[in-house]
Amino acid sequence: MIPKLCYFLKLLVFIILNNLILKLKLNIDGLLVYFPYDYIYPEQYSYMLELKRTLDAKGHGVLEMPSGTGKTISLLSLIVAYQKAYPLEVTKLVYCSRTVPEIEKVFNIIYIFITHCIINSYFKIAFQIHFSSVKYLSFLALRFGKEVDGKCHSLTASYIRAQHHSNPSQPVCQFYEEFDAVGRQVPIPPGIYNLDDLKDFGRRKGWCPYFLARYAILHANIVVYSYHYLLDPKIADLVSKELAKKSVVVFDEAHNIDNVCIDSMSVNITRRTLDRCQTNVETLQNTISRIKETDAAKLREEYSRLVEGLKEANVARETDMYLSNPVLPDEILQEAVPGSIRTAEHFVGFMKRFLEYLKARLRIHHVVQESAPQFLKDIYEKVCIDRKPLRFCAERLRSLLRTLEIADIADFSAITLISHFATLVSTYSKGFTIIIEPFEDRTPTIANPVLHFSCMDPSIAIKPVFGRFQSVIITSGTLSPLDIYPRILDFRPVTVASFTMTLARTCLCPLIVGRGNDQVAMTSKFETREDFAVIRNYGNLLLEMSAIVPDGIVAFFTSYIYMENIVASWYEQGILENIQRNKLIFIETQDAAETSMALEKYQEACENGRGAILLSVARGKVSEGIDFVHHYGRAVIMFGVPYVYTQSRILKARLEYLRDQFQIRENDFLTFDAMRHAAQCVGRAIRGKTDYGLMIFADKRYARADKRGKLPRWIQEHLTDGSLNLTIDETVQLGKHFLRQMAQPFRQEDQLGLSLLTLEQLQSEDMLQKIAQIAQQA
Amino acid sequence: MHYINIIITMASLSEEVLLVVKRVRQRKQDGTLYLMAERIAWGPEGKDRFTVSHLYADIRCQKISPDGKAKIQLQLVLHTGESTTFHFSNESTALKDRDVAKELLQQLLPKFKKKANKELEEKNRMLQEDPVLFQLYKDLVVSQVISAEEFWANRLSLNSVEHSLSNNNKQEVGISAAFLADIRPQTDGCNGLRYNLTTDIIESIFRTYPTVKQKYAENVPHNMTEKEFWTRFFQSHYFHRDRINTGLQDIFSECAKEDEKGLKSMVTQGVKNPMVDLLSLEDKTLDEGYGTATVPTTSNSSNKSLRENSNSAIIKRFNHHSAMVLAAGLRKAEAPSDQASETSSTDGNSRDSDLFQPPLKKVKLQEAIEYDDLQGDSVRKTISLNLKKSDRYSHGPIPLQSQHYSTSQDIINSISIIQHEMRSYKPRLTQVMSSSAASSAITALSPGGVLMQGGGQQTINQLVPTDVQSELKHLYTAAGELLRHFWSCFPVSTPFLEEKVVKMKSNLEKFQMTKLRPFQEKIQRQYLSTNLTGHLEEMLQAAYNKFQAWQTRRMMRKT
Repeated sequence: MIPKLCYFLKLLVFIILNNLILKLKLNIDGLLVYFPYDYIYPEQYSYMLELKRTLDAKGHGVLEMPSGTGKTISLLSLIVAYQKAYPLEVTKLVYCSRTVPEIEKVFNIIYIFITHCIINSYFKIAFQIHFSSVKYLSFLALRFGKEVDGKCHSLTASYIRAQHHSNPSQPVCQFYEEFDAVGRQVPIPPGIYNLDDLKDFGRRKGWCPYFLARYAILHANIVVYSYHYLLDPKIADLVSKELAKKSVVVFDEAHNIDNVCIDSMSVNITRRTLDRCQTNVETLQNTISRIKETDAAKLREEYSRLVEGLKEANVARETDMYLSNPVLPDEILQEAVPGSIRTAEHFVGFMKRFLEYLKARLRIHHVVQESAPQFLKDIYEKVCIDRKPLRFCAERLRSLLRTLEIADIADFSAITLISHFATLVSTYSKGFTIIIEPFEDRTPTIANPVLHFSCMDPSIAIKPVFGRFQSVIITSGTLSPLDIYPRILDFRPVTVASFTMTLARTCLCPLIVGRGNDQVAMTSKFETREDFAVIRNYGNLLLEMSAIVPDGIVAFFTSYIYMENIVASWYEQGILENIQRNKLIFIETQDAAETSMALEKYQEACENGRGAILLSVARGKVSEGIDFVHHYGRAVIMFGVPYVYTQSRILKARLEYLRDQFQIRENDFLTFDAMRHAAQCVGRAIRGKTDYGLMIFADKRYARADKRGKLPRWIQEHLTDGSLNLTIDETVQLGKHFLRQMAQPFRQEDQLGLSLLTLEQLQSEDMLQKIAQIAQQA
Repeated sequence: MHYINIIITMASLSEEVLLVVKRVRQRKQDGTLYLMAERIAWGPEGKDRFTVSHLYADIRCQKISPDGKAKIQLQLVLHTGESTTFHFSNESTALKDRDVAKELLQQLLPKFKKKANKELEEKNRMLQEDPVLFQLYKDLVVSQVISAEEFWANRLSLNSVEHSLSNNNKQEVGISAAFLADIRPQTDGCNGLRYNLTTDIIESIFRTYPTVKQKYAENVPHNMTEKEFWTRFFQSHYFHRDRINTGLQDIFSECAKEDEKGLKSMVTQGVKNPMVDLLSLEDKTLDEGYGTATVPTTSNSSNKSLRENSNSAIIKRFNHHSAMVLAAGLRKAEAPSDQASETSSTDGNSRDSDLFQPPLKKVKLQEAIEYDDLQGDSVRKTISLNLKKSDRYSHGPIPLQSQHYSTSQDIINSISIIQHEMRSYKPRLTQVMSSSAASSAITALSPGGVLMQGGGQQTINQLVPTDVQSELKHLYTAAGELLRHFWSCFPVSTPFLEEKVVKMKSNLEKFQMTKLRPFQEKIQRQYLSTNLTGHLEEMLQAAYNKFQAWQTRRMMRKT
């Protein structure tokens, strides 16, 4: 496998903090903070206070604040000010976000921040962004990251460059050569660099922007990139290894961070993988025998190097770091490769044996679930493979590929995957499970064996991050209940706080609809979800809402299949036709391109006043990454409680693990998971204090205290007892009233002093007291 | 066996007749009264033309004879003061006929009344909203320098440009998304289905599904009748949900394929707004084979059940349908803007506009991170100046023969060069002038200094009393208006313009006599030395000269 250099860092930032001239100068607990706006929200002030305490204590924090209250700018303002005040305490800000648009937003906020702050020309800042698609510079024709990686490696690998010395006709990458010659000595001019800027800079200088960024990341004051660069050991090893300990790491939009952790450590192996791996092994074998005839010395040299355990001496070359270890740095064995796989032939033979074993395991007819030690025991009994050589698989393969001077590494992804699996399974005895399924549950007749090696413990991947950096801030709009994150990620935060949104008018209106007009309970419970009456009532709810809500309505279903079925029966019942009289209907599909188009059309329809409905899926891409600001989403309807598919074996294993290890009951976790997704979905519509929207939870189960209590505080607050078990008619009445009120003009003066403060108002005594109540410690 | 019956009701293409009343007398003659969409008309018995016809817009009011009177009459009073009386003479239903006509007129007249008064209201509004215009109106029309018609002729035409625009391309009526639902079949009792089609629905179908229109054009009327076509349409699988099973003999199977293609091309086109592009949403770092999400298997589509397939077909179809409906509504609106962009690119302007318009992505990002309420009032939304030819704007109307003016690109370049130079500018501190020389230069350049003597401009404010100033301003606007009228006559190409130019010249002279002279005298009386009206006179003189030149040339041509 090729480490994902291709989607490397997003942004890095340099700041040499000096003189700032700012709109607001705030005194946050004795720290002078510059704020690039004329006004400030009270909760922003409160947020900064908590943040400051966390930084002071050099500990970790979990902070929940609704989106649209200026979380990012508060974070940036405070941490940059902190950096300026205590340059020795905090040297770097590493800002991690989830989606690309999110990252770009952060970047633009930095831009605003800086441009508003600086007048003084002495001020030097540099921000950088990077993306390894910058490799396109030299290989414009290649479309896929992998190919670019392969091509890049074939031009920059150390042995290629060595050959170039003796034989100038050997092609090398000019951009890299240029960078290697001078790039590291010349300081990068201070400034803000995003991906394009850096590419531009690289083009001007003739330097490879990819390596430039990897180098620059170490010197930047602010780095903005994706989670994976820090959490995925395969990438973190390359990118983030040398980040200073005194950095502040921020995970924004962190409500799904446990899933990212788990994903980065899990492996799936299908029959196709094994087949491709087979061809890889054959290629390796042929190459070895060829080299043996021509250049046996090389193989001998590698052997002796492995004997001495000196592999590291050679590894330092940055361009050779294309394959990294899938396990976390402190688990990598710092000793010589065991003798059984030291020679190239032996290693290939070893891999062959391993491969055959896996093939045999996949040839089963019933589901098998076992732990890593069980698997290791079995493999030892069946094919006599020891644990220790397995652990070295990834390292050994890397060494071999380098020795064989295989330039185009793109083809070897299958064998890399297998070697990573070998290393992972033999390294971790706890927190992982192996599940072999001979077929998919829905199609039991078609054999499609898959081996899932899945991580169940998110704390494994994130542990080094908490261990290494002095402050890690986990923040999002929806982190409730707050105590669960420290438990599943296994860390001890110094501050845990949830902030509400101060509002001059209640611009959100959460309603729980439990019954139809015929008093039949509405729920997506498994037993009743096919019930005709439930489906009809859901349809009626949407129909009624489409008649009273202006512009856009977004509706979320619990799963894709459920949505398909409901849409079909709505179609049969003629409900959709009636809805079409009011609004256009767009539906999310499993195809991302198709959905993008539907989304754009949806926005277009909202824009030109026609109004539209988007039917979408919780946990889908839309619910995770698309905001429906203002008229794009005047109402969100959540049909049912979005529980995860509980029959999945991987999930069951994880639940068991959580129960045994962290004492979290299955039901608690499932509800927590469902409610965070529901909150994510409904939160998509409110993106600021000037925005407004209805939030309709269409399931009677939401009214129960255990569900309701897990919603974020800023939603819970507005959920009155009177709106807990409404019928459709009541919902329509309340909704009408709410929308009519909200549609009245809303000016800045209305907010001032309540949810928007000037500096003077902020400094008044009773306001400070009020602000103290905004943060709720968990 | 089902049979499908189709009724197509065509709206009448000619003038719509709202009401016909027979046996109405006018001037002792029997006839018929017609109330139409825009006018009321009456024609004598046995003749097929109208002898009386009034536009509703011309009618001021209607009067009716009081109840209990023997003659049942309806009188129309026109704006001009004339009136027409109709006598309803059908004994049995006269009263009812009259009342029906009256009711209808009652509904119709107010609509047209508005239209008639609109112009007057518009003028009034313009005068009220624009004090400068009002002053001008007072100066020129009230003092009878030019007539009111002349004054408005030019004004309203400016305005009517917008009006005509909005009138000519009337706002396109969109398509109801549920138009297919409106043709719900009704069972007609004998095991058949009955679809009601109106021209509106047909229009909607054609606009939403151009392929169907194409099929229609191909097949009707050579291959089949219209009725047959629609019968087939409703029988076809194309119309129904299980579209996946389109048979070959179905003429609409091709349409389905076309639709599929259209949807695909829409998808491959991608989205313009990067914020909704789900493909680039994730910084995807997990390689194939990693992660917990199950790998989508290739055999997936084949083992889906039929029902699942048809379900996803429905979803696809809804997306497509909505997109088409939306597109049909937008098509008309987009056309002119496309044209505009084309023309702008042909006149070499596109580069300029590109230069000043931030890319969509930036705009969207900016929108996404903006907090209006945190911002102070100082931030005001600016409207970007959209120039057809920015060169012209920055240089003014320079005669074209002077070739050497720089393009905006040059200017931008030179600005950047200057910026660049300024950045690397280092004062040579050894070679500066002495401080005494510098300070004397500064004194000389300060107000009151040696070099600043000629600056009388500032003092005029203090010299001239404010009432004179404002009067001068009025004179300037009035003169400007008259001169605009005058100059707009050139080149004099029509007899109408000839007439106008002569009239305008006399207007100018009148203006000079009645307005400018008294003002000059007034200034003289107040002993103001500065020649305030010099420039005005120059402008007038220039106009006279032009007129003279034109007149002599005309004379020469005549002789």
